[in-house]
Amino acid sequence: MTNERTITWTWLALVAITLGSWWLAPAHSRGVASASIAVTCVVLGLAAIKARLIIRNFMEVRSAPGWLKLATDAWLGVLLASVLVIYLI
Amino acid sequence: MSVLTPGRFSPTTAGGGKRDVGWMTWFFPAWYAVFGVIICVLTRVTPPPRPDITAADKVAFFNQHHLTIQIGFTVLLILLGGAAMTNGLVAYQMKRMSVGSVFAYGYIGGMGVGALPGFLLVTVCFLTAAFRPDRDPQLISLLYDVGMLSYNGSLGCFSAAYLVLAIAILYDRNNIFPKWFAYVSIWQIITEVIATQMFVFPSGPFAWNGSIAFWWAVVVFSVWLVALIMLLRKAAAAESADEPALD
Amino acid sequence: MWVMVLGDLVIFGGYFIVFMIYRSMNPTAFLAAQQHLNITIGVVNTVILLTSSWFVAQAVLCVRGGDPDRAVRLLWGGAASGVAFMVLKCYEWYREIIAGQTNSDMFYSFYYVITGVHLVHLLIGLIVLGVLVRELRTPGRGRVWMIESGATYWHMVDLLWVIIFALLYVMR
Repeated sequence: MTNERTITWTWLALVAITLGSWWLAPAHSRGVASASIAVTCVVLGLAAIKARLIIRNFMEVRSAPGWLKLATDAWLGVLLASVLVIYLI
Repeated sequence: MSVLTPGRFSPTTAGGGKRDVGWMTWFFPAWYAVFGVIICVLTRVTPPPRPDITAADKVAFFNQHHLTIQIGFTVLLILLGGAAMTNGLVAYQMKRMSVGSVFAYGYIGGMGVGALPGFLLVTVCFLTAAFRPDRDPQLISLLYDVGMLSYNGSLGCFSAAYLVLAIAILYDRNNIFPKWFAYVSIWQIITEVIATQMFVFPSGPFAWNGSIAFWWAVVVFSVWLVALIMLLRKAAAAESADEPALD
Repeated sequence: MWVMVLGDLVIFGGYFIVFMIYRSMNPTAFLAAQQHLNITIGVVNTVILLTSSWFVAQAVLCVRGGDPDRAVRLLWGGAASGVAFMVLKCYEWYREIIAGQTNSDMFYSFYYVITGVHLVHLLIGLIVLGVLVRELRTPGRGRVWMIESGATYWHMVDLLWVIIFALLYVMR
């Protein structure tokens, strides 16, 4: 089961990644932002990590039955894969 | 009587339940099937014709479907009382919940008021447009827009009905409907909120024929309706024939 | 509650996919519009919502550990963070509208609808948290499964926002 430390460490990781995203955003760059496949891949990867942390630790799917682990991972995987594919086309 | 007593359930109903409730429970999908034929096949309002066409195109739409619009919507005018009856059935099951009758009345009220923008307006507008095909195209265009906007964008009444249904289910201790159906009803409210955008966009994903405002919402609605029909049958079957009549 | 969460995730997934499709049809326009978003507000709001999830997750642990009073205080913390998110979001909308970014622009129409629907979910979440507080305050109740269910819903609101943040604010 989850304990207090897990939750706090998860929160720290999530906040750190979020603060890091500040630099990646287009609104942050001076002048006109340009599309960047590399940046987008990093962003989607980070989003996947954040989402999975929330699902596994906050929503406690880590200790949930197998089908639920599969369902949530599948949702995340299909969604982000589709987003990436549509982005690249 | 105990569960083991033979003949506990009326022999004329399959698996228990009251006969009149059983009939209404069959009537529900039957009416919706007819309604589906009317709106999809005859009058062509579902899936909706496009918002981003000219007045001349709209006149052409009415000319093309003139006969089936008139047949479909005049039949609907006769049958629309069936909608009230389907709402009554849901309200009956809601009255069997432990939360008290006020939610059932709220449901009837919301759905009842919702019938006007929900399908009556488009019925009258489209019949009026088909009545005199040689009317000024701008007027026909207006009838088209008013009909489609009210039909697809009618929101508050249904949202209220879904909300009281969801709350009633969540607080019901008699478990007439399973809790998950409350969540499906809440999704319906979300799609109604998004439908507000139909009044702003004549094209794109939020228009009345848009991928988000219409198509994805239709998927959610279909899930809701099919689930409701199945749950009404289960609830009717689970009711014992000698359960005392409701007030 | 997992019916609600999984279904809601799929429904939002649909919105995200449609957003991406329209984005792929107008990449430069979307990128240009995206630049008008205030990333600082976005980051602050994300941190606020993550913090609210921390509060709610801790509250669940307290309920399991038999400390409902502390759990109630933590839930209030989560709710307060939720309200802060709402206020900041409304301020953000106000700023965008004043600056002329209305839903006449396609990117912004998605932005308002997606963040708007998310906000409705947040409002529902605040009601849920209220129900949980009442449950814990009622002597003799405080059913753990109920607190866990409500918490799961709240974390879903957080989860959706993380995706929204990535797709609308950061990705290019």
